[in-house]
Amino acid sequence: MAGHNDSSAAEKKSSELTSDIPTFNAENLQSNMKIIYYSRTFLSIIGGVIAGILGFTGWTGFIFYFLVMAITSVGLVAKAGFSIDSYFNSWNQVILDGFFSGLMSFVLFWTFAYDMVHIF
Amino acid sequence: MGLGFVIGVFGGLILAHAAYSTIQYRGLLKIVEEEFSGPPMNVVVELLLGLVFCMWAALTVPGKFLSILPHSEENRMVSLPANLDFMIFNHRGKVFPLEMDLKLKH
Repeated sequence: MAGHNDSSAAEKKSSELTSDIPTFNAENLQSNMKIIYYSRTFLSIIGGVIAGILGFTGWTGFIFYFLVMAITSVGLVAKAGFSIDSYFNSWNQVILDGFFSGLMSFVLFWTFAYDMVHIF
Repeated sequence: MGLGFVIGVFGGLILAHAAYSTIQYRGLLKIVEEEFSGPPMNVVVELLLGLVFCMWAALTVPGKFLSILPHSEENRMVSLPANLDFMIFNHRGKVFPLEMDLKLKH
């Protein structure tokens, strides 16, 4: 009887443990993060080209980058069907990941397009 | 996948055309000796169209999100073991009595 009680207690403990630790498929999470990186990098390049053609200088361009990234975040959330929990760990992964690396390529292509269109 | 990629290429071409017409517009301004205040209307429309197309491509081309929940429909194991052809259940061993149980009873 005592042994049975022990085993049931242990079972309970283990079930509590498994419910405490969030389990998820790491492989699929990585592929989701990769998809987000692709989208952000491509859209920051496109945003840089557009900002350069429009002739933005100074802070206007950075505000334009923030706008493009916000629209991208909304698009990614809509792509996930508004159920972030089943595809990602947290909201930060969708909204913030790849932001600064995207900023670098944005500035590169912004200056490139500006030079091509407005200076040469 | 194919459709999204084609749309992305089309968006890139629209952007290239917008850049080219802006260059031409700047050349025209140089001839009439006016200052550049902003790109003409058709260039702005082209840029917006290109942005929309490229956003469509960027959201569809990389692939679909995969669920990370272990109990979701997509993550269930549905594949059978690979050596299924070598599994034999109808062999002569099943006519022998199982002596393991007898030994355990004693």
